[in-house]
Amino acid sequence: MKVKFSVLPLLALVMMVLPIIPQAQAQETASAPTITLDKTSLANGGEITVSGQAPAGAQVYVEVYAADKKVRANRFDGKKDPKTGKIPYKFYLTHEMPAFYKILVPKDMAPELDKAKAAGKDWKYSEVLKKTGADAAYSAPAKIMIDSYQATIMASIIGSRGKLLDAMDEKATKSESMKLVKGRFRGVGKLLGANVETTPTGAYTAKVTLPAGQAPGKYNVTVTAVTERIKDGDKETVKKVKSESASFENKVSFPTVYLASAGTSINLIYPFILCLCISIFGVLMGAGGGFILNPILVTLFPLPHTIVAGTVMPTVLFSQGSGIYNYSKIKFINWKLGVGIGCAMLLGGFIGPKLTEMITLDQFKFAFGWILIVLAGLMFWQTTPGYLEKNKKEQAILKEFKKRAEEAAAKGN
Amino acid sequence: MKVDFWGHEFEVNMWVGCLGGFLIAIMSSMFGFGGGPFMVPLMTVALGLPMYIVVGSSLLAIFFNTAMGTVRHMQFGNFDLLLFLAMFPAALLGGYLGPQIAKRVSPQVVKRVACAGLLLLALNLLGVY
Repeated sequence: MKVKFSVLPLLALVMMVLPIIPQAQAQETASAPTITLDKTSLANGGEITVSGQAPAGAQVYVEVYAADKKVRANRFDGKKDPKTGKIPYKFYLTHEMPAFYKILVPKDMAPELDKAKAAGKDWKYSEVLKKTGADAAYSAPAKIMIDSYQATIMASIIGSRGKLLDAMDEKATKSESMKLVKGRFRGVGKLLGANVETTPTGAYTAKVTLPAGQAPGKYNVTVTAVTERIKDGDKETVKKVKSESASFENKVSFPTVYLASAGTSINLIYPFILCLCISIFGVLMGAGGGFILNPILVTLFPLPHTIVAGTVMPTVLFSQGSGIYNYSKIKFINWKLGVGIGCAMLLGGFIGPKLTEMITLDQFKFAFGWILIVLAGLMFWQTTPGYLEKNKKEQAILKEFKKRAEEAAAKGN
Repeated sequence: MKVDFWGHEFEVNMWVGCLGGFLIAIMSSMFGFGGGPFMVPLMTVALGLPMYIVVGSSLLAIFFNTAMGTVRHMQFGNFDLLLFLAMFPAALLGGYLGPQIAKRVSPQVVKRVACAGLLLLALNLLGVY
């Protein structure tokens, strides 16, 4: 008896759902494009040909994205809004950005992409999407979860991201996602390519090139065919059909590994050698390796500056700790002075990392450039005769004190 | 503030020291470097302290900044374990090999070379070439 009663509501539910399904099917327009990939797996990048049949005369777009590897992307909006004249001070953050994203557009759109490339760093992703019509195919990042924070000066001082704002609506999310995509992948050529070829009958082929150093795992490919664009004043209605998604696998093997927080695969031997050479050189010139290592890492590898700064910093912790231990053994540290200034530095260290994520990679490089010029000036000053003269005396005293300290330490034992 | 070190007494202007240290700490934790080359001139030139008190004490001060910066970067998800594991042994090895090589080269020459190298790198970052 009991069983019978629990089945009833289920049955009712099924009956309610049933009429909806045929309706949904009826709405779908005629022929969705077919899609075939010539390979199912790649080894650390390569080329895949996508082909199929789309409705005759349609514009074909191919969207490719990493399906199971997601990365973080963030953007700080500190630019004056031309409409209101106010600076929004908003911080946008997502953890769901696909690690790879690219839309291929029809071949004849190439001039549009060249124009965007000519615009340099300030090219606008959303504009190019619109001009090439690729916004019809823009879908994978459109629904990512984006957190937005209202940053204030006070919040920045205490090192917080600010107040978490209410979730954005679908439209705002899509528009912000485009800005995040651009901030994450930066280059026109990285996000868009014009190589979809179509024949008058609607058969299309496109070459998907996956560069080396991308995320491993599953990649999805979907084809969108735009059959008609109806312009009604400012409003444009786009009629489009979408293919099912096809997928391929990108395989990456050791020593190339995927750095999850950076979203790229990298051969670990390179950072090892780079770090070794630079830390030796750092010892010789008397400055930590981070000064040279960080700018080289962000220039040579597709690593975000936040990851570089956050990962290089802990590498020096150990050498600093052992340095302090060695100096303290010979009582060569003034704790009052070190801890006093250290407390101020503790505060600074609390705020700094927050600022790293508020700036773009270009701002990071620009500021770093000036820091290095100052550092080069300091280095040069240390080789001038006046400084050397003074330093000679200082070094002699230092040696003398070290000797005494060591002797004292030896006696103590 | 008065500081006692090996029988000598020094007068230190802690306001200058703390403000300078604070600013250097923001910059160094923001960009992920140590900050020693800026701290040493601050303490020797701006505070007028002799080198032998500065070497150890500046290292201690910087350690506070590095430790805090590391924790905060981890908190913001800026730390990548694999990249760290690739670089950390290299940094240790470099720290071991560095002083051995340092005995054989002139520090003046190294600093001049470093100076030129830093300028080149800086101009690259500023987009001059």
